[in-house]
Amino acid sequence: MVALARKTLIYEWRRFLPAIVAVGFAGLLQLLQVALVLGIFGSAAVYITGSSGDLWAGYPGTQSVNLGRSIDAGVEMRLRMDPAVTAVEPFHWVDADWRGPSDTGGVSVFVSGINTRPDGMLFARALPPALRARLNEPDAVIVDRADLDNLGVGVGDSAVINGHRVRVVGVSNGLRALGGVNVVASLATAATLDTDPSNTNRMTYFVAKLRNPADAEDVAARLRGNTAFGNYDVWTAKDFARRSQLYWIFDTGAGAGVLFLAGIVFLVGVVITSQTLVAAVIGSIREYATLNALGVGVGALRKVVMEQAFWVGALGLLGSAVLGAFALMFARSRSVPVALGPWVTVACLSLCMGLAIVSGLAAMRSLRRADPATLLR
Amino acid sequence: MNHASPVPQLKPTVSLQARNVSKSFASGDIRSTVLHDLTLDVHAGELTLISGPSGCGKSTLLAILSGLQRPDGGHVIALDQDLNQLDSRAVERFRLLHTGFVFQGFNLFPALNALEQVELPLSYLGLSPTEARRRAIASLEEVGMGPRMGLRPSELSGGEKQRVAIARALAKEPDLLFADEPTSALDAANGQIVIDILHRIARTHGTTVLCVSHDPRLVGHSDRVLAMEDGRILSDRVPSQTSTPTSGLEGSSA
Repeated sequence: MVALARKTLIYEWRRFLPAIVAVGFAGLLQLLQVALVLGIFGSAAVYITGSSGDLWAGYPGTQSVNLGRSIDAGVEMRLRMDPAVTAVEPFHWVDADWRGPSDTGGVSVFVSGINTRPDGMLFARALPPALRARLNEPDAVIVDRADLDNLGVGVGDSAVINGHRVRVVGVSNGLRALGGVNVVASLATAATLDTDPSNTNRMTYFVAKLRNPADAEDVAARLRGNTAFGNYDVWTAKDFARRSQLYWIFDTGAGAGVLFLAGIVFLVGVVITSQTLVAAVIGSIREYATLNALGVGVGALRKVVMEQAFWVGALGLLGSAVLGAFALMFARSRSVPVALGPWVTVACLSLCMGLAIVSGLAAMRSLRRADPATLLR
Repeated sequence: MNHASPVPQLKPTVSLQARNVSKSFASGDIRSTVLHDLTLDVHAGELTLISGPSGCGKSTLLAILSGLQRPDGGHVIALDQDLNQLDSRAVERFRLLHTGFVFQGFNLFPALNALEQVELPLSYLGLSPTEARRRAIASLEEVGMGPRMGLRPSELSGGEKQRVAIARALAKEPDLLFADEPTSALDAANGQIVIDILHRIARTHGTTVLCVSHDPRLVGHSDRVLAMEDGRILSDRVPSQTSTPTSGLEGSSA
């Protein structure tokens, strides 16, 4: 079998280049915008993804981790009673107001009160043990390096949270928050910063570690729906993180924006790619007509066009994958928040292959002009 | 009945028949008749030339006889099959199995070399790759393009391109070979080569070669010349075997 589609693609690559570039850039755009949105909104769940807990217990119906309400402290006992649970740790969330030493006005901060032991689950992945240990000092807090300017402080400076004096004892990396600034403190410090009297004897979340993390779904289902300690619900860390991210993505309209832009990119890509493929078909229309005169069926000719569309798509995807990898590496090196999972990548690239296939179908229609009778005039 | 000799046969078999074929085209409100109730027998093993001024309907006749177009009225019987009775898919199949075409423009894919041009339609015939290659090489050698079969159209002269196009048609081993103005884009020497090849194909393969041309050089090399004008066949004659065109001698209307 003579590989007409591939040989034509290689020989007349200049003709096909616009289509390949269109598919490539469409893919790159999709990848980057999804990576940015996931990266930015992924930080909405940094409390969960940066921690090593398997289960999260919190107020029922909590849509995002930053929207938690306090639950009865007795829930800790309920969790500890389950044989699958090996450790339970409280997480004290305080919405607070920051006043720094320099003139920065009021800054809204999220105080995370955590267990500071080296084997603590909260922020186990975000805070090294030495840094955690510094939180044991009374009124010590840690802020993210990227937030130092917003807060108007440096390490060793003092500031006031909810009218209570605190001291910055260190800086972390990768703890940027959405819609505010993260401040990490010990549970004791956080308790002093919490000015809401109704929160005494209550805690925002309890995080549990399991003997076998693979059982998280089953254990969560087992612990849920028990009202002996008041209202609470239990989620796996994965579910709760995803729920928090989705809440932010759709609450801010970013999700709709991504879908809208994806639609536009798809449309523009299809227009350019299909026009290029149509031009390629028209350019060889007399040769196609000759093949048809020799008895090669229209179906076989369509296959040639679709094969070209496929290769255009494959080359474009290769280009967007390579460029996308470089772009993401560059973004990471500049601390731009980007995140891309394998499934999202596959979805983006499939969308672009779909683009090429739709363009091929559109170009196939122009084969109707390959009428061999026209060659006889 | 048939003699396996290169000498012209006395009673050649009729391989292609037109029976009361008519065709007209509408352009706007005006309807112009291109073929008037035309009846014709074409014989196997002969190079039959249809000549006439442009617009006389010879290309339309070729399109209808080759199954590329359907007549408005009448029948085309090719290899004992009435083409009117076949649907378009079956006609395509018939063309695949039995017909070859050579066009004025060579219509070669720029990306393929000569060998691939010839192999391409063969792969659709269901031949094995080795058989397709063998046949392609054989027909390229038959038209004298064996040494240049690795070259692409951009590296070939017009005459060579037309020889590749002929090889492409020939490799299918068609019973019917249709040629539309095969020499009009070629200089004298190359035109001569192409004519000789077409004639030889008719003789050695027993192929029905039907050629449409107003090229007077072809006349002397044809076994039979049909002169057409205004959608009718004016004369049907056997030219004397010289290389120069002669005026019509034995006229017989269709």
